Amino acid sequence: MTTLRRAWLYGLVSELEPGRDLLVAGLGANARYLPHLPTRVPNFALCDAMGAAIPLALGMALARPDRHVVVLEGDGSLLMNLGTLASVGAASATNLTVLIFENRRYESSGGQKLPEVDVDFAAMARAARFPTADRLDGATALGAALRKARETGPALFVLPTAYDAGEAIPPYSERPDEIRLKWNRALGKETSWQRNA
Amino acid sequence: MAGSAPATREGARKIVGALESAGVTLVATVPDTWIGWLADELRPSPRVKVVDVAREEEAVAVACGASLAGGRGVVLIQNAGLLNCGAVIASLVRLYRIPCLLLVSYRGDERDPIYYHAPKGAATEPTLQAWGIRHARAAGPDRVGDQVRQGLAWIDEAQAPFALLFSGEDLA
Repeated sequence: MTTLRRAWLYGLVSELEPGRDLLVAGLGANARYLPHLPTRVPNFALCDAMGAAIPLALGMALARPDRHVVVLEGDGSLLMNLGTLASVGAASATNLTVLIFENRRYESSGGQKLPEVDVDFAAMARAARFPTADRLDGATALGAALRKARETGPALFVLPTAYDAGEAIPPYSERPDEIRLKWNRALGKETSWQRNA
Repeated sequence: MAGSAPATREGARKIVGALESAGVTLVATVPDTWIGWLADELRPSPRVKVVDVAREEEAVAVACGASLAGGRGVVLIQNAGLLNCGAVIASLVRLYRIPCLLLVSYRGDERDPIYYHAPKGAATEPTLQAWGIRHARAAGPDRVGDQVRQGLAWIDEAQAPFALLFSGEDLA
């Protein structure tokens, strides 16, 4: 049972909490959809840097214990950097939620298959001491999942995602400088180097 | 085999003082022997949180995340790990112009007696050069604190990475 990526994303943004949640997207389809979604919370998308989204979000979560960071990552990107689950678990980042879009494809590069093994990412997260880790059945489950994650993090949820080779994923429409500037403005927290930007 | 711990750690304490006074809030690290000596001095700091990660690319991303969220992150890794970091430095630090100080334990230079570090020592500065990353060698315990301060000031101005390569002797 899989769900369309767009259904996951629209379900997610309707459940995000302005003033509390921050949103980070790893490279690929999620980052490309992000500018077109009514996100309502500060968001930061990677155009590249495969595997970096979760540790990037970890740094944000540790710097901002007053906020809850939601990070969107692909199953291929997580496989590239599995150790990061241990890093998150060790840091006890209670305000970090990881959403893994699982379609078993390198979608951005043409839909090539991941190494063909049935990896249980939720079990891996539990083994890395995430107190909340589960596989979700569909977008209607996101609201309850996020509420639980905000109370008992770090959390990881696997989102089984349909792969459609013909899906018209929008291209990257924001450049890194623009992404950073919008993030800074939305976050309303400027550091000295950001003021100089 | 990594040499014996220095009797004094004045250089390490100066690095910690420089990080604290410059407002560094987080140091993301993967250890080696020399980094262990420095981290011993750093962990008790009430102002700097040390975050242990599994791999060096993560350390770069964690530090960048902290800096983007209003903190100030620094990376503390060995040069073996720095050599892993070419892609994340290019595609995160460079692409998004995030100030990023890399404190790098410089194994395999002429001060390092251990043979198996030599190849990565030989590759380190040419690699930084090829990646276009400004870098400096630490100039001993008396100078290293100032070099950290200068590095932090420079990355803010340049919105770029800077690598300070230190040896065990620089921590003594």
